[in-house]
Formats: sequence, structure tokens, C-alpha cells
Amino acid sequence: MRANPEVLILEDDAETLDELQTHFTRKRFHPLGARSASRALSLLEHNRYSSRPVLAIIDWDLGKAPDRSASSGDVLSRLARELRECPVIVYSQNIDAFNVRSQIQRSHPRALLHDKRDGDASLLERIDRMLDRTVGDLRIHDGTVVVHVPTLDQHHHREAIRLVVHHPDIVTFHSDTATKAVRRFGEWLQSHHSAVRLVSHGNRKYRLNVTVAEDATPDIES
Amino acid sequence: MGGTGAQWMLGVRAPDRSRAILVVTVDGELAVAVRDAVPRGMAVVRDARSDDAAEIADACLPWPWMVVGSAVTVTPALAIVLRERPVLTFWLGAAPDGLPGHARCFDRPAALLDSIQRACTANVGGMRLAPGSGVELGDGTLLRGATLESLVASYPGGFALPTRAFRSVSQALERHDAGWAAKRDGDARMTLVRSRAVAPR
Repeated sequence: MRANPEVLILEDDAETLDELQTHFTRKRFHPLGARSASRALSLLEHNRYSSRPVLAIIDWDLGKAPDRSASSGDVLSRLARELRECPVIVYSQNIDAFNVRSQIQRSHPRALLHDKRDGDASLLERIDRMLDRTVGDLRIHDGTVVVHVPTLDQHHHREAIRLVVHHPDIVTFHSDTATKAVRRFGEWLQSHHSAVRLVSHGNRKYRLNVTVAEDATPDIES
Repeated sequence: MGGTGAQWMLGVRAPDRSRAILVVTVDGELAVAVRDAVPRGMAVVRDARSDDAAEIADACLPWPWMVVGSAVTVTPALAIVLRERPVLTFWLGAAPDGLPGHARCFDRPAALLDSIQRACTANVGGMRLAPGSGVELGDGTLLRGATLESLVASYPGGFALPTRAFRSVSQALERHDAGWAAKRDGDARMTLVRSRAVAPR
């Protein structure tokens, strides 16, 4: 299966949004762009059952948004509650202010923070570092495939990309289909004698581990 | 600006089984500092206020791995969690009523943050906290269990809780021949002790 993974982008400035969307399209991702929080919430709702973005880029300050019926905090809270496995980058001119950081963290405890004053190029660089990741002997290519570098064999499923993007964090998968895809990816890693192993934390939670061989075991208190 | 109007739906209140550090303060400043101090992927920092701390603690499954606080009271509901579960409890400034006996108090933020970092990177005879949840044994085996995570992170300290709360930990460690067990120490706290000498792996 080959499907371009979605990236949610909430940016109230039309020019910046266009630049970000172009950047992701060039990298073969499918950008879900929104200039207002309500539009972003609507995109999440409409894509709820078909796909789950592998990354969300959220502008905290939405002063130029055409519709202010919802806030970036509302989008972050929705992402935290329903798409916890989706890495989120939040950027703001005021990211140094602890009250802004506290509000962001209360909306989404796992959100990564970025200083908007460093410019768009800095944000794009950071995104590229996340998406063009190398984990052990694996590398993401064009946002759509995981490449096993020693053999150049490719694995195309988006859940594999999600795991690599998220490394070393745990990713929770929300359907049997996704979980089966993850297990197939784990088998693919084993069959390629990859240095990367799939680790199960139970309850549909998985992560990748590069160095230590681990056994999935049930919770000792369950 | 981005703050959400609906407090009930804040992401910090969403149930999650990842290792959690609940930080209870008046304004969130300490939570920001704690987040910067925690190694990436080790724990999720949950920024709480007194009035929603108990509810957010309930969302940390099965319970918060650590509670950090400053200049706030401990509500009765949160005090129950701290009293009945092996929760690492770190406090900046004077301890309020309701903290358990094993709570550690700090005068300076730097000392508090240093202790949080050390808890995250604790190594007890090769047992270390795995990213997100669970404990890696010296041979790479992953054991999942919040009580074992608390024991490893608090070592050589422990928890004044009933022995039965730690039985499954001792059984799991014995099953995996880890050479450690949960036992009561001289201060009547349950802690990790060597059950036998282990050859270096």
C-alpha cells in the first residue's frame, strides 16, 4: 500500500500557509491546510475515519484568521485527545513567555515548541529534520517510504513512517488495520535483520528501538 | 491568542497510559521548567492547577509516576492518590498538609530539577526506565508496571505502603532472574534490595 501521509497545517497568514503547503507537496506529503482553527477542526473531523495526519504544524497566534470562532488551543486539545500519536509543532512569536508555553502544554502536553522569530526557514528545517529521519539503518524517503539502507528495500505503509518519525516515542495505534500494518512492519524489520526492532508496550502501543533487544511482556500488575 | 475556552476538553485532561509527571502550581511556570529538564520521551509533563489536579491525576493511567508541586494546597482527592499509590512526590518550598511521608522537599528549583532528571535516568543494577513506560532489565527485557518504575526511580528510597502492593513486582523480578526484589528497608519503606549477587552481564 502506498499512500501519501497527511500533514495538518494551521497558519492564519495566507502567504506562509501557501509556502508550507508547497513545501510539503514537494516532499510528497498531502497537506491539509487551514487559515482558521474552525477550518482545521473541520478537516480533522472529515479525515477522522479515512486517515490520521503524521504531523501537525500549528500557529499559536491566529490574529489574521478569517474566522475566530475557535482557537489554536481548541485544535491542540482535539489533537491531544483524539490523535495523540501525531507529533505536533506549535510556533509563536511569544514562545519564550512561560504563560504561553503553559497554555500550549495544557492544551497539548506533548506539543513541540518553535520560535516564530527564527523565521519560516528555521521551521522548515526543523520539519525536514523530523520527516527525513534516519533511525538506525532506516531512513524515510520522500515522506512515503521507509528505506532499509543496507539493502535499499522499501516499506510503504504510513504507520511505519509514523513510527520512524516518532522515534524514540511510543505511538498508539487506533485500529486493527493499523496494528496489523505495524506488526507486518516489525516482521519486515526482522526479515531484513535490521538494527531497529519493534517494541510492543501492549494496548496497541509500539515504539522502535535501535540498540536493545526487548521482549514484549504483559503488564506485571495486570 | 490560542487559549481554549472549554477547560473540560483541555488535552492535559485526556487519559493516557504513558509515564506522567503531574506538576501542580498556581501559574504553570514550574511545569515549563520541569518539561525542559525531562529527557525527551521519558515522561509526559502534565501542567495542573489545584482545582483540576485531582482530575488530571485520574487521567494519568494507572496513576501519575511523579507529582511535583509548589505553593499550592493538596486537595483531599489528590492526597488519597499520593497516600495509596507509589507516587514519587517532589515539592518546592514548604510542604503542605496531605503529602506522604516519602515526599521530598526542596528549597531551590535547581535542586528539584536535578532530582527529577536523576529519577528519569536512574539505573539500579542495570534496570532503567524505558522511554514512555516500562523498565528495561540489564538483559534488554522490557517489564511493564508502574510500581516497578516508581521503585527504580526512587532507589535507594522507597514508599511507606503495604507489602501487597509490591508483590507482583517481586514476582516479576524473580521470574526474570533480575537479582532484585521489593522489600521493606530499615525505615519501613518498600524499596528495591538485592536478592542475590548477580554476575556482571
